[in-house]
Amino acid sequence: MRLYEYEAKGLFRRHMLPVPNSVVVDENSLCELYKVIYPVVIKAQTFAGGRGKAGLVQFATQRGEAEEKIAGMLGKKHAGHTVDKVLVEAKVSVERELYLAVVVDRLEHRPMIIASQRGGMDIEEIARKEPDAILKYYLNPGADLHAFMARNIASGLGLSGVLLASGAHIINKLYDIFRGYDCKVAEINPLVICGGGTVYALDAKVDLDEDAMFRHPQLRELGIVARHEVGELTEREKIAKQAGIPYVDLDGDIGVFPGGAGFGIAAIDLIQHYGGRPANFMDSGGAPTQEKLRAMLSLLLDNPRVKAIFGARFGGISRCDDWAKAVVKYVVENRPQKPMIMRMAGNMEEQGRKILEQAKAENPELFSKIKVYAYDTPIEHVIEETIRAAQTQD
Amino acid sequence: MAIIVDKDIPTIVQGITGANASLHTRFMLQYGTKIVGGVTPGKSGQNVEGIPVYDTVQDCLAQHPEANVSSVWAPPRFAKDAILEAIEAGIKSIIVITERIPVHDMLYARHVAKSKGVMIIGGNTPGIISPGKALVGMLPKIAFQPGRIGTVARSGAVTYYIANSLNLADLGESTSVGLGGDPILGTNFEEILNLFDKDSETDAVVMAGEIGGVYEELAAPFISTMSKPVVAYITGKAAPQGKRLGHAGAIIEGSMGTAASKIDALEKNGAIIAETLSQIPALVKKALGGAR
Repeated sequence: MRLYEYEAKGLFRRHMLPVPNSVVVDENSLCELYKVIYPVVIKAQTFAGGRGKAGLVQFATQRGEAEEKIAGMLGKKHAGHTVDKVLVEAKVSVERELYLAVVVDRLEHRPMIIASQRGGMDIEEIARKEPDAILKYYLNPGADLHAFMARNIASGLGLSGVLLASGAHIINKLYDIFRGYDCKVAEINPLVICGGGTVYALDAKVDLDEDAMFRHPQLRELGIVARHEVGELTEREKIAKQAGIPYVDLDGDIGVFPGGAGFGIAAIDLIQHYGGRPANFMDSGGAPTQEKLRAMLSLLLDNPRVKAIFGARFGGISRCDDWAKAVVKYVVENRPQKPMIMRMAGNMEEQGRKILEQAKAENPELFSKIKVYAYDTPIEHVIEETIRAAQTQD
Repeated sequence: MAIIVDKDIPTIVQGITGANASLHTRFMLQYGTKIVGGVTPGKSGQNVEGIPVYDTVQDCLAQHPEANVSSVWAPPRFAKDAILEAIEAGIKSIIVITERIPVHDMLYARHVAKSKGVMIIGGNTPGIISPGKALVGMLPKIAFQPGRIGTVARSGAVTYYIANSLNLADLGESTSVGLGGDPILGTNFEEILNLFDKDSETDAVVMAGEIGGVYEELAAPFISTMSKPVVAYITGKAAPQGKRLGHAGAIIEGSMGTAASKIDALEKNGAIIAETLSQIPALVKKALGGAR
């Protein structure tokens, strides 16, 4: 979970990492501007990079100018995000720009501290242009970062004298935040050295592990709560999110009710491979409840673009009988007219099959467009039949 | 001798009293897996499907010192502790069914396991099956039949569909391994490919990967050193950029972790690429040629 720059800086401040004085402002809190000392830098709060080029980082020397520039930024779209907050921060005079980050290295399976004297650039750009300018330090998972290690890194950043101690302090604190908040990434770029030996984290990027949020209730005190971070959600994606269903809208006409995320990804590929167009990605695995399964079906069938449903349940942790019960109840209650071509195999299949057969015997008309194949029908056959069903609905 | 799990390998179940664990304990027993004990803290004295429950892995192993495989079903916040407890007690293979284990927890557990020569499979694995011999986890038995093809995949259902495709073409599996869908895995493709390459009961390997992460790319160079053919099936070609597909870490960010980069790396190193599930058995048969 990415944090906004102002949230990450709030975390830094709380842990004694130096950041310039600032206020966060939205359209209703311009009055807060009285707290800052000019000149200031105004930074739109969005997750995507490239803010500078998009005109979303600007300077102002007095309040009128600041308000004007803020008004120009609020409501602007940047990489699918609408800017609704800006960070207004005291401008500092920079002598040197450094790079510092602690990340989970997924190749080495260890925390890695990355340091470079070429701050201010994207780290991938530095890696491409000057790979030798990047220093990497690995730690074992769970290990302490001793003071001497931090000094070694600070020294590698070219810091000496009083700056050696401040640099080592910052490295230590950043590592504490990385460990203490279950970060995947904690990055300061640039870390700036100003005149007189002051040091500031001028930008802050923190990516938290969503799966560890349960042990950080203190984040809520800082106003940091789970949120959506990639682009903007469609209406259906919002409904899905509310219901706790992993769902992504695509632009086709086949509703995909696939089972787990892994096969959900495969199903989209296969539908395209056979010339169909998937309407969505969905994760309907992991033993969902009856209510959730029905919510998934209505999400798919309420979509006016959807002409047919491709469904699959290969029961492992999820049970076929639960799945069949949910399908039957949904169909009986909602009487969908769209064809549903599905396949069911695995855990509790026999029981599931009985539930479906009984429902069909009681209500043959209602179930006339619903087919549920078994183990001996290849899944690709089911996909091809769904594609044909969608085409004949035109 | 199948890889990792086999008919007479004594196995324990951590978190055995949970709803999923107890149901699948029944299925594992029905399949013939030799389960000797279960562990749930505070529940000693109970039994699940006739299997005695202990408070700690240590107590369980005091009664069943021969046990050396465990499946972990504990909730995510207790998973690290359960894994470390198993390692400490001397378990050698730990199959972690639990999903969404915090990244830092898994890094630590993995680190400890590696230093003690313990194999962790998962988290978020459906488990491992050697058809006709043993099943540890929650894989549906109908998906598998005995044979000589090893399979290894990140996703549970993709594991089932691959075996299903092989079986419909009269092939079968020596062992099917679910690596797991969590972002940090205890064991990667390369280690399993290595076990299959040395396994006298395996003739060819099917590996299935998906977008996100770089585990497939990392395994690619090893394939060129293998004596057995590898058919690779990579999903996520149609996935939209920048959208998270499920919580599995399946997200395309830049050029890293795309289906194209994985397929390219695998193909360069001699893997045979399958475009669909149903192509897999034909490609396997072709690769084996007259060998079978």
